[in-house]
This record gives sequence, C-alpha cells and structure tokens, in this order.
Amino acid sequence: MAEWRQYYQNEDDEVEEDEEDSGGYGRDSLVFLVDASKEMFIKSEDGETSNFDMTMQCVRSVYTSKIISSDKDLVALVFYGTEQSKNPRNSFKHVYVYHDLDSPGSQRVLDIDKLLGEKGAQFAEKTIGSGETSLGEALWCCSNLYSDIKLRLSHKRLMIFTCRDDPHGGDGAKDRQARTKAADLKETGVVIDLMHLTKPGGFDVSLFFCDIVSPPEDESELGLQIEPCRKLEDLQKRVRAKELKKRSQSRLTFSLGEGVNLAVGVYVLARTATKPSAVKLHRDTNEPVRTKTRYFHAHNGGILLPNDMKRAQVYGKKQIVMEKDEVDEIKKFDDPGLVLMGFKPMDRLKLHHHIRPALFIYPEEEQISGSSCVFTALLLKCSEKNVFALCRYIPRRNTPPRFVALVPQREELDQSQTQATPPGFNVIFLPFADDIRTLDAHVGPTASDEQVDKMKEIVHKLRFKYKSDSFENPVLQQHYRNLEALALNMLEPEPIEDLTMPKVQMMDARLGPLAQEFKDLVYPPDYNPEGKPAAKRKTVSDSTAQKPKAEISEEELKNHVANSTLGKLTVPVLKDACKQFGIRTTGTKKQELIDALTMQLSK
Amino acid sequence: MDVGFSMSNSEPGQEPPFEQAKKVIQKFVQRQVFAENKDEVGLVLFGTDGTKNRLAKDGQYENITVHRHLMMPDFELLEEIESELQPGGQQADWLDALVVCMDLLQQETMGKKFERLNIVLLTDLNVQTSADQLDVIINSLKKAGITLQFFLPFPLDGEDRADGGGDGPGPSAASARPGKGLSSQQTQGLEMVKNIMTSLEEEDGLEEVHTFRDALEKLSIFKRIDRRPMAWPCQLTIGSSLTIRIVGYKAVTEEKVKKSWTIVDAQSHQRDDVKRETVYCLNDDDETEVQKDDTIQGFRYGSDIVPFSKVDEDQMKYKSDGKCFSVLGFTKQELIRRHQFMGSQVVKVFAARDDEHAAVALSALIRALDSLKMAAIVRYAYDRRSNPQVGAAFPCIKEKYECLLYVQLPFMEDLRQFTFPMLENNKKFTPSESQLSAADALIDSMMLVEKDEDGESVDVFKVNHIPNPQFQRLFQCLHHRGVNPDDPLPPVEPWLKRALERPQAVSARCQAPLQDVKTKFPLKVVVKKKEQKTSADVFGSSADEPDAKRVKVDEEMEFNLAEIAAGNITSVGSVNPVRDFCALVRQKTVSFDQACQQLTHRIEQLLGNRSPEYYMKSIACIQAFRDQSVSSGNAELFNSYMQSLKRSVPDRNLQEFWDLLIQDALTLISKDEVDGSTISKQDANQFLAFEQKEEVQAAPVQEDTGDVDDLLDMM
Repeated sequence: MAEWRQYYQNEDDEVEEDEEDSGGYGRDSLVFLVDASKEMFIKSEDGETSNFDMTMQCVRSVYTSKIISSDKDLVALVFYGTEQSKNPRNSFKHVYVYHDLDSPGSQRVLDIDKLLGEKGAQFAEKTIGSGETSLGEALWCCSNLYSDIKLRLSHKRLMIFTCRDDPHGGDGAKDRQARTKAADLKETGVVIDLMHLTKPGGFDVSLFFCDIVSPPEDESELGLQIEPCRKLEDLQKRVRAKELKKRSQSRLTFSLGEGVNLAVGVYVLARTATKPSAVKLHRDTNEPVRTKTRYFHAHNGGILLPNDMKRAQVYGKKQIVMEKDEVDEIKKFDDPGLVLMGFKPMDRLKLHHHIRPALFIYPEEEQISGSSCVFTALLLKCSEKNVFALCRYIPRRNTPPRFVALVPQREELDQSQTQATPPGFNVIFLPFADDIRTLDAHVGPTASDEQVDKMKEIVHKLRFKYKSDSFENPVLQQHYRNLEALALNMLEPEPIEDLTMPKVQMMDARLGPLAQEFKDLVYPPDYNPEGKPAAKRKTVSDSTAQKPKAEISEEELKNHVANSTLGKLTVPVLKDACKQFGIRTTGTKKQELIDALTMQLSK
Repeated sequence: MDVGFSMSNSEPGQEPPFEQAKKVIQKFVQRQVFAENKDEVGLVLFGTDGTKNRLAKDGQYENITVHRHLMMPDFELLEEIESELQPGGQQADWLDALVVCMDLLQQETMGKKFERLNIVLLTDLNVQTSADQLDVIINSLKKAGITLQFFLPFPLDGEDRADGGGDGPGPSAASARPGKGLSSQQTQGLEMVKNIMTSLEEEDGLEEVHTFRDALEKLSIFKRIDRRPMAWPCQLTIGSSLTIRIVGYKAVTEEKVKKSWTIVDAQSHQRDDVKRETVYCLNDDDETEVQKDDTIQGFRYGSDIVPFSKVDEDQMKYKSDGKCFSVLGFTKQELIRRHQFMGSQVVKVFAARDDEHAAVALSALIRALDSLKMAAIVRYAYDRRSNPQVGAAFPCIKEKYECLLYVQLPFMEDLRQFTFPMLENNKKFTPSESQLSAADALIDSMMLVEKDEDGESVDVFKVNHIPNPQFQRLFQCLHHRGVNPDDPLPPVEPWLKRALERPQAVSARCQAPLQDVKTKFPLKVVVKKKEQKTSADVFGSSADEPDAKRVKVDEEMEFNLAEIAAGNITSVGSVNPVRDFCALVRQKTVSFDQACQQLTHRIEQLLGNRSPEYYMKSIACIQAFRDQSVSSGNAELFNSYMQSLKRSVPDRNLQEFWDLLIQDALTLISKDEVDGSTISKQDANQFLAFEQKEEVQAAPVQEDTGDVDDLLDMM
C-alpha cells in the first residue's frame, strides 16, 4: 500500500502498517470497459450529455484522483463495439484498447479530454467508430491486459459501462462466449461490475448481465444498486464506491473480558492528506536516485552494524544508555488489541477531548466467526442506550496504550440508496492528563441579551449547510496544478479556487446594516478593534512597586569569581555589585561588568 | 531531612521512618530531574554526626549538615541520596534545622528570581526543641515569603490515628504508631507544627502536613509534562467590517516526550563516535553513487516524475496572507460529526486580555451560537508560513469563563468514503432477542459512571486524570538504568498497571453478564487453512508470469534466443540473471564457482530492495542456482549459501521471502540428489522450517559467523 502511505504522511513514529493478508503489497488495477455503440452517443432527452460523455467524465475524474491519491494503481480504458480495432496482438476485432493497463499520467488525462463533449463524440467517431459487438472478445482482450502485467496485482476490477442490456441482440453463441470469458476472468480474481446507464424502456439486468457480473460481496448489496445511473454525480459516486478497495489498517482482537473476544478491522476513514514527499532525481538524467543510509565509526571509519550501536538520553547531566531492544521493550505494555473497560453515557465524551483524527472499526467474520453478531448487538444497544464503550487500545506491538471511546454509528443511506454512513464504531482518541494544558482563562464582561440577539440575527443571515467534503485543500490543489502545468508544458498552472477564503462581499451583502448595528451595540465610537491595542497604561501600583534591590554579599561574589559563575547573575545585580565596591566600569555590557568585577575581586 | 537516630527506630517488620523519608526525597528529586524544569533544590540533613553549616558557632546549630547547596537537581544528587544518605547517630533540633534552611534559601537565592521559596521538613519530631524562638522564626518566614511543608511518619490528627488514619486501614495506620503512641517530644512537636502552619497560612496550612506514605504514593507518579501555553493573538472576522480581537491557546494536544534517543557507540557510549552518512545512488547494477549536489527534486504526477526544484516550488506554491480566523459561515452543530475532527489539537479562543469591548463582542457571538446550537466554520491560519485550515468554532460556556473551542475539520482530500456491508438487516448477523438482552445487561453492569450517595453521578474512570503511561514507564526505566547501569529493566510499576485495568468493582459486577454473553454468542477463532500458495500465486495468477518452474522448462529455448539477441554472455547481469547464469555455466567461460558468486551477488542485490517485485526474480535465481548445482554435482556452494541466507533472514526482515522459498520447496540439496552433499534428505526437508529454537541446530555445517558478505568473499 505504498500509495496510501505516500499520500497520507505518517505522524512521526506512528507507522501505519498494513496487514499482509489485507492485500499485502501489490497494486490495484482497474479496467474501464466502455461500450462504444451508437446507442451510447445518443443524447438524453433534455439534450445535455450522452451516456458516453458521462462515462468519459467519470473516467477522467478517476484518472485525476488516482494521480493524486494512488499513483501506483494501474488503470486501463478499453472500448468495445467499435469499428476500429486496436489491441496488443490485434487479435480481437471491434475492441479498441485506448489505454493499456498502466499508472495514469498527465498524457492520459489529455487523451480523455479529447473524448469529451461534442468534439469528443466526433473524435470518437473518427478514431474508434461504432461497429459490431462481441463482449466475449472484449473480455478476453481485457484478460490479456491483466496477464501482460508482470507486477503483482492485489486488487483487480473491471467495470463495464453500457446502456444496452442485450448487447448481442439475441446471438446465443456470442452470449455464451461472453459468459465463458467472464467466468475465466472471475476465476483469476477479477471482480466485474456493471455500471449500467439509462436506456429507453429501462435496463434489464436479468436479460444478460446478471451472468456476467461478479456476485455482490453480501446479499444486502443486491437490492441497492439496481437502478441505472442517470446523473453523472450518481455514476461517479457509484464508481468511487466500487473503485476504492477498503483496506483495514490492522485487524485486532476486541476483548470484552473473560475470554470473550471478537475480531475487528480498523479503518482509517479520514487522515490529513499532505503533499507527497519529493523524489530525488539525478541532475543530468532526471533518473530517480535511491538513498542509502549507513552508520560508521568516526575514528576508524568502520561500518557500524545495528549491534554496534546503542541508544542514549541525557537527564540530570547524566547519559543513560539502553539497547535498541530495551527502548522497544519500554513501550510494550500488552499485546495489540482493544480491551473493553466499560461504558459511559455519551455526554461524558467531551467535545474538547480531541487529540487525533478518529478511526473506524467493523467486525472481521473471517478471523473469529460470530464477531459480527456480538458487534451488531453491542452497536444496537450502545446506540439505543446512548452510551459509548471505553477501551484500551494498543495498535501494534511495542506501542504504548491509549484510551479510546467507541462511539456507535448506525448505517445511514442517502436518497439514492447509497450508503452515507457505514455501520460500526468510530474510535475517538482520548487525552491523558499530560495532554491537557492548564490555561489561565481570560475573564471578561459578558454580553447583554440585546447584544446577543443582534448577533443571532447575524448568525442567522450567514448560516449554511456544512458538508465535510465541500472544502478542497488549496495547498494540495495548487501543488498538483503546478505539477500538471510542468508535466504538460503549460505556460502557467490553471488557477485554483480557494474555497477556504471567506466570500467577504457576499457576506457583507447578506449582512447589510447588521454588522454596523452590532458594532454600535458592543463597541464605543472611538474603539478600533483592528488597530494595535493601546499601550497599556501603567497602573499606579505597577510603577511604585519597584523591584526589590537585589544585593549580594562580598563572599558570594568572591565565590562566583572563583567558580567563574558570575555569568549566572543578572546585569542589574552585577551593576549593583560594581557600585557596592566602587568599581568604575567603562561599559554596561554584561561581559564588561563581569570582567571589571573579576579584576577587582581577584586582587 | 531528619537523619537522627530516632528516625531509624521502628517496630520489627516495619520500615523505619528514615527509609521512608529517604524514598520520599528520592522520588521528589527524580521527578524534578525528569521534569527538567529550572527549579533548584538543596538538601540539609540534621542529626548528622558532623556539622557543616554557615551558622554553626559556639555550639549552636550543631549536627546540621548542608549536604547540597541550592542548584538544579541532577543524577549526581540522586546517586548521592542512594549511596551516601545514611542514618546519623545524633539528634538535632528541627527548629534549628529550619533556621539553617531559611538562611540557605536567603543566601543562595539572592540576585536570582524565584517564583516560590519552599522548605520541606521530613522528621519524626522526636527531639527536644526550644520553642522560645518560634515567633521570630514564624515572622521571618512570613517576611521572606517562604512556605513550609511537613512530612511526618504519622498523621497530624490524633483521632485519625486512633481509628486507623482515616483514609484507609492497614499498614499505614500501623506504621503510623511506633509503640503505643507518640512520645512527649513528638506530642509537643506536633503542637508546634500546628502552631507554625496555622499562623503561616491560617487553616489551609494544615493541609501541607503529610505522612510519608501518602507522599510516596503521590510522588510515585512522575510529573506530567507541563507546558506554558503560548498566546496566539489574532482577529476574528465576520465579513469585511466586523472584527473582534481574540487570543487563542492550545488547550488539548497530544504531548510527546521532549527528548529523543540519540545513537551512541555500543562500546564507548560516545555519541560522536557514530557518524551517519546518507549516499545517493542510481538504480543501476552497480548502484553508482551520485553526489548530493548532482541531485534535484521532483514529484510524482501519476506515472510521470516531474522535476520541480525547491526554488520553483517555493515560488509557485500556495501562499496564504498570514494569520487569520475568518468566519466562512455558521452551521448547525449536529452537521459537524465528532469523528470527523481532524488535526491534533483543540484551541481555546478568548477575547483579547483586558479588552472589555472585545470580551462583550465575543460573548455575544458565543451566547448566540450556544442558544442556536450552531457553530462557526472558520478559515484558520496560524501564520504566513503555515497551511490554512477549515475548522469549526464551538461555543463553550463555563461557570467562570466563556470561550470558543476551535477544531480542525477535514478537507475533501482527507476523506475516504468506504462502503461497508450492512449489519443490522443482515440475516446472518442479526442478534436474537435474548442475545440483545445479554448485551444490554453487560452494558448496564459495566457502566463507569455511578451514582454516589448524594445522587451525583461520578465518573470512576477518568482518562484525562491518568498520566500518560508511556512517559511514566520511560522515566521509571531511565531512572532505574541511571542509578543501576548494569541491571535489567524493572517491571512496570503496579500502580501504573492498575491504572490501565478495568476498575475492580466493575470487573466484579460484570462477571455474570459476561458469562451470559459468552454462552449466548458463539465465537470461534477461524483456523485458517494453511494456504499452499506458490510464489506465482502470490505475485498474481497470470499464466504468463515468468514462473520459477517455467524457467527450467523453457531454459533451452530461451538461451538460444538470448544468444542470438545478445551475443555472448560474459557475466551475470541484473536484467535477466537466471539466463545469464545458466549461459555462463553452459558456456564454461568462467568457473562454476565464479558464476555462482556472480549470481549470489545479484540475489543479494535483489533482496536488498526488499520489495516483492524483486522477490520473484530472486526465487528464480535460487531455483536456477539449485538446478545447475544439482546437474553439475556441486552441492556445497548452494547449501552453504542457503544456510547463510537463512541466518540472515531475521536481521534483514526477509521472512516473507523465506515463506516463498518454503512454498516452492527450494531447500538444501540432499545426499540423495548429489553424492557430495553432507545433508541428509531429512535435514533438507526440515531446513526450510523456521523455528526460532532450531535456528542454531539447523545450520550446523558452517561454523562461521554467517554473514552473507563473508560467504561471498569466501567464494
């Protein structure tokens, strides 16, 4: 899972390790198999976009998101039902491999752009055309794409985009061949999905495609996505949901106590995305270079092996040395896992007890059977009783424990019957005593009802519906636009819209006179909140309370001189000392004072 | 600290007060050392055989020793306490000792600024004191602003003593009463302590009199990491004209250990003896080194790598216009999901200090949001250099103050929308009524919030009161190692272990409901069938994959093709090492030994990458190595290479690779295959098994240290 790691930079020592069995290394691959028949190019009734156009927009968005989030994944775009043929050995007629399985790059995005819109349809007509259909041949071709890949693939998916529910028009032989080839593909671990699009008279999956696609992961999914996609948004959502292989960060035992253990997978559903780290390139060839780090002995130059080194820290002027193993051992408290401590009412989960983004857990039936049932029972009951479970959490070996709140979350679907929130527990990290800082709260006067009411009007005018995915990270967006510009030799990067900036004009317009009215209520006329705070007038007590004169005995000074620790004293003390001994100093710098005193006292 | 002879008296089986007091001081100093603050500590002993203090004159202030002057505590002090702090044979007046301490404080703090001057007196009060100077002493304590704390072997209050110390029966009560009661000196001393403390601090003063045992318990917890919050002054803006002056403080954030481990030489323990070097090399066969100056930076853009210099990057990157806290709009609190909080901190936002107009304005906002159950969505930028965030500011109204709580929220790029199979209406997983009621009962029995006598609910497990166990453990180990450099690490302290466990009362209560859950829910660990995967399966199931076994079959054909294409092969290259190796062996242009050496060199290089893509190639190489060894009747090279490879597996983290060898059954060449082999068929079969214990046994042939490099040199 290199791409995940690159995109989601790890927090110092907290290395996210992915379990080998949850996919291990290896890359994800995705083949878009798109119907290029005439039907696909027919514009919808409202005359807006054709199914083909919608599909291309969708493919493009997957390409660009892959480039950003998982650039190692392999993607291919294959058309079937074409006039022209283009495939590795040119052994398949009416199959056009537009993009071979490879990681998507800038050029590919440009290629897709050529297929978009009105011009795109013309371009498609010219280059690929519409012709005879044989889904069997197309699937066969795709299976060759997979087998030509020499890399290890962890997740293989093929999505068919079509609006024809009976592609071969009743040709039994072709249907049979398609079924056989689909079965072959599924045999080798390829998951086939159908992204069916609208067609007049409705798309009947049972006519043909039900035998082609992979069975859903669980029965429940069957009922969900039977409706064909009408809107680009729906299609993108559906593709996105399928395209992302969910991966657990780890699989852990969740112990309720007394040997009652269930298995859960831990998932990261939100993690701060950061710029991927830079790659070092050789100046002359732009070829990536690797780094090797080694330790060697400063005197004899010999290479130091791990056993030749120890770890050390200095406390109280003493160096304390430990073996590397011991440093690890110190962090070990228990085996990895979740251990239930008990339950608390939800109102005990304080809003401000936040130290890290949350995780998510979901039962793992394959590890301990019966887990899902206990999990579901707990989920239902916790949610019904409005309580959360408090657990001790050790994510990995040699990792100290943290306490977490498991907050129940029941499944929610949106209007289009797509899952909006998945069922499971959110894992909220709780702070220890060390993590809470003692603040000296500012206490000031509070607002009157009139002032509060005026502010309520302001709040009311500026309210909106917050959605967690509505803000893009301007820093990341700018970075990728810059790369894009460089990669595609553009003159300058496409401008980004910074969604994090307040829309000041719109806000002002909406507020109208309210802002001024509020200011009149809370601020005196001469108050300027934007200016520098007025220099604090020194209070009377402040000026009279002169610092007590610090005096220092001669003996002590001599001691300091003897130990050459005069530097520890402050300048005023040193000055006073000089006066005390009637020493005339030429300067007022600390070192000069010290020198003068040393001269005098060491006589 | 009183080290007088009465401090060493105790009933049989009891720890003498001296030892207890010593522990209190140890723990105290230890906390100071690890908290690394600038506090200074001095140590004055009284009841010592000798006398060493400034005031000693004419038989006054005798048997009082200033053991250490005021300075920052360090390990030296800890070691001194450990080894040099011995019970004395004399008794000294604790009031005299107090005077010596006061003098010490006054003398040695002169010219420096201190927030607080404090004297901690550890004594059993078992000595005749002259109370005539008491008033003078109290007055000068007051004048100098010195606070006092007493640590005694017994509790202050006589009644508490009688019924067992008040806060718990057991040893503390027993040890609190040496003999039947207190001696007359002690009773008199206690009166004086009370007198001093109450006159210094009125009634609260008595709270600063502690027993050794209490103190030990409290001090065994290392000081929590305490940081002074940094004020972040800014302006909250709503639109273009409404501005409120605010100050933010980090209120909650994950505290990290301040220090990291440095790497030192194992022998000399010198940090400077270890030099770290990072070299850049090309990804070619020879790993050609490249100077750092000859590298530039680039970024991946999908399959492309775009060269992008640091200068260009800085010039083109997103620029924010400095610190801000600008409202983008307001939204219902319920739309902000708790589990979507991002970042690692919560910032409390107050009105600017001493600005009452700002306070009123902010108060209006806080109260408006609170009553509407809404929050502000804001753009937050710490300063010009930092990335802007979008976050939520929630209203927070406390009894004493009001503020906004700011938390970062996710960007679109931060979220992963995974879909999970449904649980509730899934026939397979739906719990039955009786199962649900078992879960219900379990939850009820395990509530961590209980009602006390007054009907107030009490949280019995407050995580935010538990010190971070990581720091506690680290400091415990560091301290132990610092004082006893040759000892193994100590076990986790019992109190810390307890703090991380379920509270006992809850454990006891949930026994029956847990049993019920156990019987009602069948839970079974799924025993995974040991999947017999071959390496080809692991690396993708395509038939066209250059499978190790196929290499053997296709050998002849491939060579011919290769020879035509590439001419004569003179060495084992990295592109197709198997082909090259087989060709070399067949052509006999170099000796078999040499060919093997070249091959193993390539294998080592491939394994050095520790990437699965290269494992496949390595496996093919080993297969070819083995095949050629068998056919040329030379088992020794292959076997010894394999044995050394096996030994290096743990260090090089090659377990996964080894598993692939197991799956392909690429084991040692046995006698049955090659006459010259010293390995029996059975040994060969067992060779691949990686049992930790057998490691030594499994490799008896080669007696050398088993470094792969050694082996290569040998060949």
